[in-house]
Amino acid sequence: MTKPNFDEFLANNLDQANNPEHMPTPQKPLWSGVEKAINSEFQSQTDLANPSINGSRWRQLSAIAASTIIGMCAVYFSMQLPEQSPVVQMSTYFEQQKQTLLVQYSTQPALTTDWQVQLQELEQAEQAIKQALESDPDNAALLQMLAQVYQQQLDLINRVHQPRWQQI
Amino acid sequence: MLVDAQDAFANDTLDELVLRTQLGDQVAFAALYEQCHRRVYALCLRLLADQAHAEDACQEVFVQLWHKISQFNGQSRFTTWLHSVTSNIAISYLRKHKNWLHKVVSFENSGMDEAGIALCGDLNGLDKLILRLPERARLVFVLHAVEGYRHEEIAAMLSMAVGSSKSHYHRAKKLLREWYEND
Repeated sequence: MTKPNFDEFLANNLDQANNPEHMPTPQKPLWSGVEKAINSEFQSQTDLANPSINGSRWRQLSAIAASTIIGMCAVYFSMQLPEQSPVVQMSTYFEQQKQTLLVQYSTQPALTTDWQVQLQELEQAEQAIKQALESDPDNAALLQMLAQVYQQQLDLINRVHQPRWQQI
Repeated sequence: MLVDAQDAFANDTLDELVLRTQLGDQVAFAALYEQCHRRVYALCLRLLADQAHAEDACQEVFVQLWHKISQFNGQSRFTTWLHSVTSNIAISYLRKHKNWLHKVVSFENSGMDEAGIALCGDLNGLDKLILRLPERARLVFVLHAVEGYRHEEIAAMLSMAVGSSKSHYHRAKKLLREWYEND
């Protein structure tokens, strides 16, 4: 059988794109997370009346505000200092974000005990990429890898300290 | 709850489920989820090109749907409205989770690699290719070719010029053609 030309392939597939039988399906059940989120509303409303939880909310809000201000400053300084290399800009900004998160979560227990080992592994990857960038500072693929490793570190810190309702 | 909902509303139409959900019936909402979650997930996956993010965004859509379903006034088909809500939530999810480093140094996120696509289960030929597209080209292609938005609407949704939307669309189509013909 001959392969249809691209236009035929596209037309056929677009016809089927919104037919549920031909749609991709999630690889895990998602309803339980939705249900928990909806049902946790009443709990949240009760929590709002609780002063100790309100205090925790204020701490969270303060941390978010601090993080936003740091972010804005980082962007401002990156615009003021155009001579800085992308690696320096990224690293400065990342370090501020990471420290903010570590301070924010310093009093909260982590979900896993080995997260610091995982963080160290990511930090080692960060160092290896930075070394490679020293000889090729504008290499877009390396910069992207560095960005990904930075993001993975922030995601890890967030994930082990602040499990989302989806993961319950 | 989901199994009960399937039994209880097996013969109900989508419109009936929507109406019952608008009245706060959570069992009807579970049945509505069962009927619609594949189309919501599919759109999230096509827009986000990341299985885990698509699953998160799909849940976010249904949580927001529970709150916002009273805003559905029946002037369009429910599925049309649902696709519009899903597109907006997925785009906003993408912005929210966009790597903060991309705000400092400009990169364009590339599409999914072969290994990631394989993890997404059984995808049709076009979906496999769409997930490989770079971010902007993918968003525009999905919104225009699959969802039927006009370039003017896409430009407003993605904060870009109408010309850029058209150019991303042509780029996407060119890449898809190239990959399809070389496959």
